[in-house]
Amino acid sequence: MTRERHYIPESRQREKPKSKYFAIGHSMKRVEDTRLLTGSGTYADDVSLPNMAHAAVLRSPHAHARIVSIDKSKAEALPGVICVMTGAEAAEVTGPCADFSSPPTTQHCIAVDKVRHVGEAVAAVVAESRYIAEDACELIEVEYDPLPVVVDLEEAVTSTGDAVLHPERGDTNVALQRTITFGAVDEDFAAADLVIERRLRWPRSGGTPIETVGATAHYDRGTGKFTIHANTSMYNYVGWLIAVSLKVDPHRLNIVPTDAGGSFGSKLFCHKVCTLAGTLARAAGRPVKYLEDRIDNMTSGDAHGSDRLYDAQLALKRDGTMLSMRLKVIDDYGAYFQYGVGQHGNAMAQVTGPYGITSVEVDLTAVLTNKCQQGAYRGFGSEVGNFVIERLVDAACEELGLDPVEMRRKNLIPKDAFPYIMPTGNMYDSGDYHAVLDEALGMIDLEGWRKKQAEARKEGRYIGIGISTCQERSVFSATEFWMWNPNETPGFTLSSSPESVSVNIDPTGKAFITLNAPFWGNSPETMAVQVLAEKLEMDPADISVGYADSDKGFNSSGPGGSRFTVMIAGAVSGAADVIREKMLRVASHMLEADPSDLEFRAGSIGVQGVPGKEKTLAEVALHAHYFRLDLPEDHDLTSGIDAAYVYDHPVTTMPSEDRSDLGIFYPIVGHMCHIPVVEVDVETGKVDFLDYVAVHDCGTMVNPMTLAGHVRGGTVNGIGSALYEHFHYDESGQLQNALLSDYLHPTLMETPVDIRVGHVETPSPFTEYGIKGGGEGGRMGAPPAIAAAIEDALKPLGVKVDSLPLTPKVLRGMIREAEANGGG
Amino acid sequence: MKPPRFRYLRAESVDGALRALADNPDSRPLAGGQSLIAMMNLRLVRPACLVDINRVAGLGYIREDGDGVAIGALTRHNDVKHSDLVRARCPLLTEAYESIAHHTVRNRGTLGGNLCHADPSSETPAVMVAVGATLVLQSVGGRREVAAEDFFQGPYETAARQDELLVEIRLPGRGAEGWAFAEVSNRHGDFAIAVIATTLRLADGRCEAARVVASAVGEHAARLRPAEDALTGGAIDDAAIERAAEAAAGAVDPHSDSHADAVYRRDAVAALTRRTLRRAAERCG
Repeated sequence: MTRERHYIPESRQREKPKSKYFAIGHSMKRVEDTRLLTGSGTYADDVSLPNMAHAAVLRSPHAHARIVSIDKSKAEALPGVICVMTGAEAAEVTGPCADFSSPPTTQHCIAVDKVRHVGEAVAAVVAESRYIAEDACELIEVEYDPLPVVVDLEEAVTSTGDAVLHPERGDTNVALQRTITFGAVDEDFAAADLVIERRLRWPRSGGTPIETVGATAHYDRGTGKFTIHANTSMYNYVGWLIAVSLKVDPHRLNIVPTDAGGSFGSKLFCHKVCTLAGTLARAAGRPVKYLEDRIDNMTSGDAHGSDRLYDAQLALKRDGTMLSMRLKVIDDYGAYFQYGVGQHGNAMAQVTGPYGITSVEVDLTAVLTNKCQQGAYRGFGSEVGNFVIERLVDAACEELGLDPVEMRRKNLIPKDAFPYIMPTGNMYDSGDYHAVLDEALGMIDLEGWRKKQAEARKEGRYIGIGISTCQERSVFSATEFWMWNPNETPGFTLSSSPESVSVNIDPTGKAFITLNAPFWGNSPETMAVQVLAEKLEMDPADISVGYADSDKGFNSSGPGGSRFTVMIAGAVSGAADVIREKMLRVASHMLEADPSDLEFRAGSIGVQGVPGKEKTLAEVALHAHYFRLDLPEDHDLTSGIDAAYVYDHPVTTMPSEDRSDLGIFYPIVGHMCHIPVVEVDVETGKVDFLDYVAVHDCGTMVNPMTLAGHVRGGTVNGIGSALYEHFHYDESGQLQNALLSDYLHPTLMETPVDIRVGHVETPSPFTEYGIKGGGEGGRMGAPPAIAAAIEDALKPLGVKVDSLPLTPKVLRGMIREAEANGGG
Repeated sequence: MKPPRFRYLRAESVDGALRALADNPDSRPLAGGQSLIAMMNLRLVRPACLVDINRVAGLGYIREDGDGVAIGALTRHNDVKHSDLVRARCPLLTEAYESIAHHTVRNRGTLGGNLCHADPSSETPAVMVAVGATLVLQSVGGRREVAAEDFFQGPYETAARQDELLVEIRLPGRGAEGWAFAEVSNRHGDFAIAVIATTLRLADGRCEAARVVASAVGEHAARLRPAEDALTGGAIDDAAIERAAEAAAGAVDPHSDSHADAVYRRDAVAALTRRTLRRAAERCG
């Protein structure tokens, strides 16, 4: 295998990891806590504008049907109704929703002529109250002409005629088919002693935060400008596309972010709700609030996760050395295709996992079916890859009679191999995977559990221990969204994915940071405060944080792909350098010393080596703000201390023309080891956690406490994916569990008493201070580990885990079948 | 998720509530509202009128009733769950409460409302049938008593007429009865996938009386008589328990849904019957 064309750009890291920090690495309480925990946050539904009306949406009961006619006269006659809009009427004033697929796939904020999934909007009502709006929805009469329904992803591959969802893309429901080979796959398979084959099913689940998506829109007829308050993200990146949908120039749309009551990826863009609210506000001539209810969100929130069937092969030597993989995957994208196959671009960042595999072939078929479309969900496709490779590794251990720990130890990339270019061309920046494994093994009493397992089996109890060693790629680069696109229709091949902040020092020397992307459930304010406090040796209590709307925002991609901490650290660090330089210049005049002789001390600037000769930050700031004429004539030295900084992605390179090399696009790579211990009740199929260890390496930790919170929350999220969560569509395309009483998240009662978290710190050589992302890790490592633990528990019965979620019904079914086949 | 229009009447006394129910044939009583309001928000039920009984005095109590317990219909779940009197005289109900709903729901939800709602997967009806509870119904026309076994008639259907209010639940004393409750649900506090409540009375080592009651696997909580017959008159040993478990599984005709299919539910009935009988037998005497 050759990598001549590949190069690793020189690191742009300016702040090296340190042995001692002023503010970074401290488990300080979240800056966000006081506001959010006292009910002082402003969420989408907290926005209230004068003269505001309320919208409700009539949704399709059919999975696939032509809209023959809509009679809205009774709804319009209901007292309190302001206006009723059909899709055809909306389409006269508003264009299609934002869409990143290529060739494009047309979606309207209200369906036009045809509905393609249950829950798709058919009409919208604006009324004096949400109650009246919902009453009016019931009065709209719609005649449908049902079309063939496609819900099975394998059947979707061969659909033709009326079963095709988007005939304008051709007579097929295959949205994209492409095979890419990285490295010498055929040679590696020929050289293998053994090929492991598994058919693996990853079910459709999704980010389902407590708060649904909502927008309150106002259209000012005088200025022709929209203002939309929404719990959206990416509004300072691609938010202008909503203006395009609303057919106004981007400067005539201001998107104002609200706090988000959770996202898990699902609020990455939320273009449809914003577009709908804007359309209705313009039509109603009044501000309009539309907040999805739970059924709206579950059936039509555009945020379902990956839904994949894999035929996966792993080629090995008899001694366990892993050589190569072949992955044939069908992914059910649902009725629309908003991000193309971005989730598979993502998965290519770490498709061969933490192992020294040198080649891989991926045969991808993306299909369209009559379900809610996919969006972003914690992991964005890479979590599925982790499940697949770990299942293959466990299957190989079983086949070769190798110990799962030793098998992994043997194949993990050694720490002297970094930065490491993996087969797809992506870079793993740094790591010490063996140290993570050893830390986890040190935390769990493996021998003790094996002994308990043996004793329990004598009593007819089934205890199992699982292990996963997984990658957590972080800091996405935009190329992942289009790299799989056909060469003939490459789409918008953007390569920027920046993040920005601005910093203002007030006259008393305290700081205000403006982020250009929203709060969506994590701790961006805490991260920004800790980094700025580090740079200026400032008390974190003297820093506060706000969020810019799109009128004032700078280029910022926003949270997603575990990038926010790394990216705002880069942006804050860059802005702080400007601030530092200005403060040093002002202080140099005040202290009559050369700037190069000055240093920041806790809360002040002083002359190096001269204790007491210093000015506090407050004195310097006051001087800079109000005493310009005390400073020498210098055109560059303007009043005040302010800085804005745009931090571009730290390391991106472009994919090759033929895509045999995807370039570096997801290079800040963490690692984790999860070891759960479970007990399976074979009579009921219920699973209990007896112990759980999760060790993560996310580089330099900004705040160990909030990182551990991410790991624990992500692990619980992963328990949901492994054991509970699944959007269950029946044969007619009806979503059977569109309520949280039926779509089941694990609660405190279903999670381990203590998810014991450990940390290893291997700094990145490419990011400021060596920070890596850590927002998605738990969910990326828990599912394969839990699958392995359950398989281990049921080993005496010969049960094999090939699909998730392992609900009591599913698990009991597998156990029953094994018992019938003479297992146990 | 907003309810359609409805009228709201607030009763201050039992008589007032009964009059309001009688005067409004399309009305329903509102107790804790933990199920009713959610179903109204989903527009699954559309009562034209709600008679709120939350301010009615004298319906929330737990007191001795002979060697048994009388519970006012408006008593909140958490009060029943934590009652020492209930624990002493009807421990089966206390045990069942470990599986019933969540703390916040139990704070508002009432035992009487829960029984009248008659959700087919509800736990309390199974307990009532297993212990042979009596439900006291009142209307402007007078009072009557209905055995729990006759009260539950179908999914969300009971023997109570529209104009009747459940005012009291009477639980008999336990005597030397053994008892056990077990449930399978996907998550703690969820709607049950299968419920078994069991009571056993032994005399000279032989089973004198047995009740094996299932919920969530049929239209309403009901005794599984073939399982009871497999126990009555004999010793409660492993073989008898196994026969009863098989009989229990054979006696139910459960439905399938996205949480569990009929085969799963039948397996669960067998497993829960086995588990509850073992525990109940240990608790006899």
